[in-house]
Amino acid sequence: MILNYAKGPFIKNVPTIPSMMRDVIFTLSVLLIIPIVQYGVRPLVMAVCTMFVSVICEIIFNLIQGNKIGAGDGSSLVTGLMIVMLMPVNAPIWLPCMAAVFAVIVAKMPFGAFGHTPFNPAAAGVAFAALCYPHLVFRYIDSSAKNLPAFGDCTGDIVSSTAAVLKNGLKPSILPLDMLWGAFEGPLGTTGILIICAGGLYLFIKRTANWEITAAFLAAALIIAAFWPRIECSMITSVKYELLSGSLLFCSVFMVTDPVTSPRTKPAKIAYGFICGVLVMVFRRFGAFEQGACFALLIANALAPQIDVIFSGSFETGDVLYEK
Amino acid sequence: MKFRHGVQGVKLDQQKELSLKHKIKNLPMADELPLKPNFNLNGKKDYNYILNAAQKSQIVDEFDGIPLDKKLKKLRGLKPNMIVACCFDEDPWTTSAMAVLREYTAEVISGLEYAAKACGIKERKIAVATKEEAKFIKSINSEAELILAGDRYPARVLLKKKLYSQNIKAFYIGAQACLALDSAVKEGKVQQDTVVTVAGRGVERWSNVKVPLGTELKTVLKFCGVSDKTKMIITGSSLTGKAVLDLTEPVTPSTRCIIAIKKAKKDISYPCIGCEKCASACVRSIVPWKILKVMKNKKPDPLMLTNVQKCIGCQACSVVCPSGIDLAEVVKKAADLKKSGDFE
Repeated sequence: MILNYAKGPFIKNVPTIPSMMRDVIFTLSVLLIIPIVQYGVRPLVMAVCTMFVSVICEIIFNLIQGNKIGAGDGSSLVTGLMIVMLMPVNAPIWLPCMAAVFAVIVAKMPFGAFGHTPFNPAAAGVAFAALCYPHLVFRYIDSSAKNLPAFGDCTGDIVSSTAAVLKNGLKPSILPLDMLWGAFEGPLGTTGILIICAGGLYLFIKRTANWEITAAFLAAALIIAAFWPRIECSMITSVKYELLSGSLLFCSVFMVTDPVTSPRTKPAKIAYGFICGVLVMVFRRFGAFEQGACFALLIANALAPQIDVIFSGSFETGDVLYEK
Repeated sequence: MKFRHGVQGVKLDQQKELSLKHKIKNLPMADELPLKPNFNLNGKKDYNYILNAAQKSQIVDEFDGIPLDKKLKKLRGLKPNMIVACCFDEDPWTTSAMAVLREYTAEVISGLEYAAKACGIKERKIAVATKEEAKFIKSINSEAELILAGDRYPARVLLKKKLYSQNIKAFYIGAQACLALDSAVKEGKVQQDTVVTVAGRGVERWSNVKVPLGTELKTVLKFCGVSDKTKMIITGSSLTGKAVLDLTEPVTPSTRCIIAIKKAKKDISYPCIGCEKCASACVRSIVPWKILKVMKNKKPDPLMLTNVQKCIGCQACSVVCPSGIDLAEVVKKAADLKKSGDFE
């Protein structure tokens, strides 16, 4: 036998970057099942096209820069899939693809690709699409429509989502408990509430995502929804409507917990989640669009390094952080 | 502000069941090798007698490679509160200490008593890894006083820290050293063999083998059925051990395991994602991701490299990093830089 020489630990690391990405992709694909059953094959086509476009963009950028070509870690796939989840079903196919091109080529690759992004690329892509074509991103088809065409435009009754109704100050006609089953209008991946909760639990148990950030985020949203409701109703009803409508729950589980863009030390993570929750509720009340989760997330990402410094000392002076 | 981390250390996938299934096997060629002659000592079995016996029998502690008589003399001077027989393996592939305790329980207990007598220490305990193991040992021999070490890696350091926080200064003695001391004091035997675990995907029969000291590694591997497709042989420990290129190297008392690997680990490494797993895995309060960030500069500032000189080289940070960065190497380089004084 021919023996090799190697150094260092000889055991395979158990959480690796590809395995963490695989967990997230698995959870997001499970979230795609109910829309496929309800609307036909269109959600699957949108997802596949967007993921394909984001991987192609990363490979082209690497070719232009002369780097090693590869999308070996699945981070582009995760970006593409998350962008699709925040779009309505009846959006034209080119819309999430355009958002993915912006997300990869402007918000991810110039900063240094995976591991060095200061802003969440998926949030940046969705924010870009929302600012350029708000009438396409926030227009939802009636949820009882079946068998939508895979590539063409959808014709059907246009209804406003729960989040839009709340923004206008009216009480939505659907009951909060009925919203749990996911048969109402909203972005593609955010209506399956129970599946999001189950997926979140899976990610927390596997330690792919930190549960502290999600808990702080939801706590902030809960407090503001309870004490400053947007509609005339009891506290509990306001909390239920606010937490179950729009992309708040989806963002809290999948996008806020991204380890690259969130702060590193534990108290800073909790503060970051809390600030992000406050910002989301502020955007919902005073912003121009019915959902402000992506914009709030981008602002919180900009604040993340400073929150880290406040809690664990400035990097320049080298304070000792930890005592055991 | 100062903050404390949660539980320290790393939980690793244990691969211990297969090698503990059967009893300790004897190498068949052992009868042909010449035995070292016994020695004779007269007198009462007091501490001088035990120290002399330890010196004449040339026992070496298998965990740190220190000769036992030197260790006992040092402990006699230091006077710690407790002496602990280390009968657990923190390495996930090694089971030699556990197997020795299971089969030679009475001898290990009496060897530990002799060692405690030689150092003049009253409190003695046997350390095992888990509650199930403790139950098993108690069912074999109910005299043993056991203490739990836990199954997080690196368990030796964590147990010492736990005892220190209870104001007990404890020192370790290896299980096989206790066994050899017992036969040295009672029968005057020189330490002639050691138990090694042979494991890994490149070996057919994972087992604990009693090997005479000085046997070549290839003899032991052939006995356990090593396959030709093996790419790497590792001795010592699967985390801090070294890869062996020449199979005619002899077995020493500190070769606690021989692991044959068929598929080498992939060498891809991604950038740091800031998940903080390395800082919670470190037992010595080092923050490896910060050290990595500082060492990337052209002129790293040594004042920012806090605590790097305390590193014990357990490699827990490298194992737990999702990006596959070799953090132990970075911390070692930082410690060398700090020690060299090569900065303005």
